[in-house]
Amino acid sequence: MARKNTYKEDEVLETPFDYHHLLRAFVYIRKYLNKMILALILSALGGILGLFGPMITQKALDEAIPQADIGMLLTLVGLLVVTFVVAILFTTIRSKIMIRVSQNIIYDIRKDIFEHLQKLPFQYYDDRPHGKILIRVVNYVNSVSDMLSNGLINVVLEIMNLVFIVIFMFMVDVKLSLVVMAGVPVLGVFMMYIKNKQRKAWQQVSNKNSNLNAYLQENIVGARITQMFAREEENAETFATLSDRCRSAWMKAVMYSNMVWPGIDDISVLVRAAIFIFGLIVFGQGNTSLGTIIAITSYAARFWQPIMNLGNIFNNFINNIAYLERIFETLDEPVTVCDAEDAKEMPRIEGEVTFDHVTFGYEEGKTVLNDLSFTVKPGESVALVGPTGAGKSTIVNLISRFYNVNSGRILIDGQDISKVTLHSLRSQMGIMLQDSFIFSGTIEDNIRYGKLDATMDEIIAASRTVCADEFIGRFPDAYQTEVKERGSLLSQGQKQLISFARTLISNPAILVLDEATSSIDVQTERALQQGLNAMLQGRTSFIIAHRLSTIKNCDKIMYVDQGGVLECGTHEELMEQKGYYYRLYTAQMEDIA
Amino acid sequence: MNQKPKHKIGWLWENMKGYRVLYAVGILGTIVYNIMQLTVPFISSKIVDLFLAGEKAAENLSLHRDLFYKLVAAMVLLTFLRTTVVYLVCLDMEKVSQKVLYRIRTYLFDKIETQDMRFYNTFRTGDLMTRVTGDLDAIRHMIAWVLRAIIESFSLFFATAVYFFCMDWLLALCVLAIAPFIFLIIRLFRDKVAPRHKQLREKHAQMNTAAQENISGNRVVKAFAREEYEIQKFDECNKDYARMNEKTAMTWLTYFPYVETFANLMPLVLLLVGGIFIINGRITMGEYVAFSGLIWAVQQPMRMMGNIMNEFQRFSAASEKVMEIYYSEPAIVDAPDAIDRPERFAGRIEFKHVSFQYEDGNLPVLRDVSFVIEPGQTVAIMGETGCGKTSLINMIPRFYEPTAGEVLVDGYNVSKLKLRQLRKNIGLATQDVLLFSDTIDGNIAYGDSSISQKEVEKFAKYSAAAAFISKMPEGYETIVGERGVGLSGGQKQRISLARALAVKPAILILDDTTSAVDMETEKQIQHSLQELDFPCTKVIIAQRISTTKSADKILVIQDGRITEAGTHDELVAQKGYYYNLVRLQTGEEE
Repeated sequence: MARKNTYKEDEVLETPFDYHHLLRAFVYIRKYLNKMILALILSALGGILGLFGPMITQKALDEAIPQADIGMLLTLVGLLVVTFVVAILFTTIRSKIMIRVSQNIIYDIRKDIFEHLQKLPFQYYDDRPHGKILIRVVNYVNSVSDMLSNGLINVVLEIMNLVFIVIFMFMVDVKLSLVVMAGVPVLGVFMMYIKNKQRKAWQQVSNKNSNLNAYLQENIVGARITQMFAREEENAETFATLSDRCRSAWMKAVMYSNMVWPGIDDISVLVRAAIFIFGLIVFGQGNTSLGTIIAITSYAARFWQPIMNLGNIFNNFINNIAYLERIFETLDEPVTVCDAEDAKEMPRIEGEVTFDHVTFGYEEGKTVLNDLSFTVKPGESVALVGPTGAGKSTIVNLISRFYNVNSGRILIDGQDISKVTLHSLRSQMGIMLQDSFIFSGTIEDNIRYGKLDATMDEIIAASRTVCADEFIGRFPDAYQTEVKERGSLLSQGQKQLISFARTLISNPAILVLDEATSSIDVQTERALQQGLNAMLQGRTSFIIAHRLSTIKNCDKIMYVDQGGVLECGTHEELMEQKGYYYRLYTAQMEDIA
Repeated sequence: MNQKPKHKIGWLWENMKGYRVLYAVGILGTIVYNIMQLTVPFISSKIVDLFLAGEKAAENLSLHRDLFYKLVAAMVLLTFLRTTVVYLVCLDMEKVSQKVLYRIRTYLFDKIETQDMRFYNTFRTGDLMTRVTGDLDAIRHMIAWVLRAIIESFSLFFATAVYFFCMDWLLALCVLAIAPFIFLIIRLFRDKVAPRHKQLREKHAQMNTAAQENISGNRVVKAFAREEYEIQKFDECNKDYARMNEKTAMTWLTYFPYVETFANLMPLVLLLVGGIFIINGRITMGEYVAFSGLIWAVQQPMRMMGNIMNEFQRFSAASEKVMEIYYSEPAIVDAPDAIDRPERFAGRIEFKHVSFQYEDGNLPVLRDVSFVIEPGQTVAIMGETGCGKTSLINMIPRFYEPTAGEVLVDGYNVSKLKLRQLRKNIGLATQDVLLFSDTIDGNIAYGDSSISQKEVEKFAKYSAAAAFISKMPEGYETIVGERGVGLSGGQKQRISLARALAVKPAILILDDTTSAVDMETEKQIQHSLQELDFPCTKVIIAQRISTTKSADKILVIQDGRITEAGTHDELVAQKGYYYNLVRLQTGEEE
C-alpha cells in the first residue's frame, strides 16, 4: 500500500502527459458533436459575412462618396446593417448553443467522477485527505469545460481562418509569403520551450491548491481541537506557508503563461519589419509592386491574429490539462471491490455465515486474520471480544465485503459473497459502525436513510425500540430538528442512538453492531437491550462490545486475537474453560466489585 | 458582527495596503501600453506613406534609407518595449492580486479558526471551503484582470474620444452619441445579472457541501448500500449548479445583440455622416481615414463592457460571501480586562449556580449546578445519554458560556482569563475523536510540537497506546488518515488521550475517552493516570463503574441537575442512581 497522503505532500502524478487525454476527453464531446458542428458552421458563416463589411465600406469610399451619391451611400449602409444584424444573430445562437454544451460537459464529467467515487473502496478515502478528493469533484471540473467546448471550436475556426489566409497570401506573392511564414518556426521553438515549463508549473499550481484545500478542510472540521490545544497560531502559520506556496506556484506559472501573447506579438512585428526590408530592399527595388507589399502586410497582420488566438487557446489547454489529468486519474482509480462479471443477486438472506480459511491484511505482508474458519448458524447472535486492534472490526467488515479477502472464502447461506452483487448483499446487512456518522438534515432524514420509503410511524417505532424517542421528543422540533453537520448538536450517545434507529429501520437480515453502544449510558443501554432482544430474534447478529454485560446473553462468544478466534462458546462454556474470556470477565468484575 | 462592513471596493482597497503603489504602477503601465498601441500603427503607416505609397516613395527609399531603417527599427523596438510593458504589467497585477489573495485568505483562516461553536453550527464545512477557495478566486480575478480591463477600456475610449473631438467635434459627437445607449443596456444587464450571480455562488456552495459530506460519510453510504441515493442527491446539486451557470451566462445573451448592434452602428454612423461630410467638404478623406482607423478603439471598450460587468457582478456576489466571514466576530473572546496568568494553573475548578442552555434550544441543559474540585482531585461525572455532561465540561475551557452562574478556575471566572492561557492549561480528550492526517507522532504532539520523541513515547505509554503503535511498520511515523481512519475506535481514543496528556495540563478532562477501549487496557490507563509525573486535576466522564470507582468524588447528573455527589462508597450507600448502575454493571440484578 502506498503511504497515506497528507496536506504536506504533493500527490505524484504517475503517468506523463500525452495528448491521449484530449482524445479521451472526446467521449464527453461526442454527445454534443452535432450541436458543436452547428455552432461551428454558424461561426464560420458569421466570419464570412464579416468579410463583406470591408468590401461594402470600400465601395462606399471608392464610389459613393467621390460621386457624392447619397442614395447609393444609404443603400450600402443599409446593406451593412443587414450583414451585421445577421452576423450578430449567428453569434448569439452560437453562444447559446455553446453555453449549454459547456455546462452539460461539466455536468457529465462531474457526474462520472462522483459516481466513480461511490464505487471506490474505503481504502481510497483512507489514503488521502478528503479535501484533495473534493477539489477534484468541484474545482477542477469547472476549469476544463471551456477548453473542451469553446476551446475546441475556436481551434477549428482559427485554423480554417489561417488556411484561407495562407492560400490568399501565396496567391499574391510566394517569396514574401515565405518571409511571413519564416516566423512560424521561430514561434514553434518558442512555444516548445515554454510548453514543458508551463505544464510543470501548472501542475504545481494544482498540487499546491490541493494541499491547501486538504489542510483547510481538516482545520475547519477540527477547529475545536485546535482551540482546545490553543494551537491556532501554529496552524495559521502552516496555512500561511501553504498559501504562500500556492502563490509562488501561481506566479511561476503565470510567468510562463503571460509570455505567450507578448512573444507572439514580438515575432509578428519582426515579420512585418522583414516584409518591409525584404520587399523594398532585398528582393530589389521595383521588383515588388506597391499593391503586393500592402496586400502582404495586411495579410501578415491577419495571419498573425489567428496565431495569437491559437497561442492563447494553447495556453489555456496547457494549464487546464493539469486539471484534466487529475480528473482522469480519479476516473482511472481502480475499483477493487466491485461486482464480479457474472455476479448474481443475493437471494433473501437466511443468515448462515461461514468463514472458510480466510486470510486478510490491510497491508501487504501484514495479515490481520490468518486462516480463519468458523460458521454461524442462521439466527444466532455472536459476540466478538478481544483486545483493541485484534481484528474484530475487520471480521465484520469482511462480511459486508468492504474489503476483499486475500485468500479463502466468506459464504452467506452457502453463497460466496464475492460472487453476488454488492448492492444485494449490503442492502440486507445492517451495520452500525464505531463512528456514528450523522448527515446534516433533520433527525427524521437521518433515520430514514436506512429505509428511504419509511413512514413516519415506522421511524417513530424504530426510535422507540432504541430508546431514542424520548430525547428526540424533548427537542422543540422533535423529529424535524436540524442536527447540523456531523450531528454537532447531539451528544455522542444520542448520535449512536439515532444511527441505531437508522440501522434497525433498514430491517437487515444480518445485524452488525460494532461498539454501537459504547457511548450510551448503562441504564439507557439496558432499556435498549430489551427492545433489541426482540429485534435480534431470528436474525444473525454480530456484536462487538467491551462491556461484557452487554454480550453475556449472546448465543456464541468468540474471543479474537492473534489473527484468529482463540475461544468460542457460550458465556457459561467459556467461563468453565477458564481461558482468555474467563480472565477478561473476572478482571472486569473485579474492577467493579 | 461588530465591525460594520465597508463597501466592497473600499474593503478591497483596504486589503491592498502595501501594494497600492505597485498596483498604481500597474495601472499607469496599462495606460502607457495602450497609448503605445496607438503609436505603432502610426509608425508603420508612416513607413507606407514615405517609402511605399507616397509620390516620392522610390526617391525617399534611395535617399533616406537611414530614415527607413530608423522607422523600421522604431516600429520593432516600440513593439518590443510595449510587449515588455504588457508582460511586466501583467506580472505586476498578478503579483498584487496574489498578495491580496494571500492576505485575505490567511486572515479568513484565522477568523475561521478562532470562532465559537455557534459559528461552526451555522456554516457548514463545504460552504466555508467554498468561501476560502472559489469565492476568493473571484476576488483575485477582480484585481488581476477586471480592474485592469476597466482601466484599459476607459483609457482607450477616452484617449480616442479626445483625439476624435480634436479632429472634428460634430462627427465625433455623432459617433460617440451611441455610447450612452450602450451604457444604458449594460445597466439593465447589471440589474438582471446581479441576483443571478448571488444565486450561482449559493448553488456552488451547496454542491461543494453535498460532495464534502458524501466524501466524509463514505463509510455509512457503503454500509447502507446507498450509493444510488447519494448519486441522485448529488445529481440534483450538480444539475442545479449547471442550470444556474447556464442561466447566468445566458443573461448576457439577452443584452448582447443590442450592445453589439449599437457597437456596430459606430462605424456605420461614421461612414454615413463622415461620407456626407466629405461630400459637403467639411472633412477630408485623410481625416475620414484617421477616424475609421481608430474606430475599433471606441468600439472595443463598448464590447468589453458586458464581460466586465459580468465579472464585476461575480466579484460582488463572491465578496459578499467572503466579507460575511471576514467581519464575523466570535462571541467568546478575551475580555478587554482579561487577567494575565502566564504561570501554570493550580487546577481548582468551581461551578457556582451554573445554568446552561443552547441558543436555539428551548430546554435548559443544565440547571443551577454547583460543585468544587480541588487541585489534584479526580472527579467522575456520570449520567444518562444527553443529560448535559459534555455541555458541562465544555464550559471549563470556555467553549460555551453559562447562561447563568459562574465557572471559576483557580478562583477566577473563566471569562476573565485569557482564552489561550486557560486552554493551554487544559487537556481535553473529546468523545468524538478527531485526529489529523499526520503521523501518530505529530498527532500526539499536536498541543506542543516542541516535545521530544521520548516524551511522545512516554505519553503513548501512559495512554496504553505504545504497544500497538510499536507494532505498526512505521511506528510513530505512521500516517493516520483524516479523522484517524484505519485505526480502531479504541486506538483512536488512546492517541487522543496521549495528545491531551502531552500538554501536561493542569486540568485533564476526559469525555468518555475510553468507551471503545477494552477493559484490560482501560485498567492500565486508569493506573497510569494515577501516576502522572505532573500535578493534574482530572475530570472524567465515564459510563463504567471501574473508571469511576476510585474517583475522589462522583457527580451524578440527571436532567441537568446534580442529583448525587460523593465517593463510590457513599453513593452506593445512598442506594440511588449510582447504586443501580453498579448493580446493573456487575450483573447483580439477575
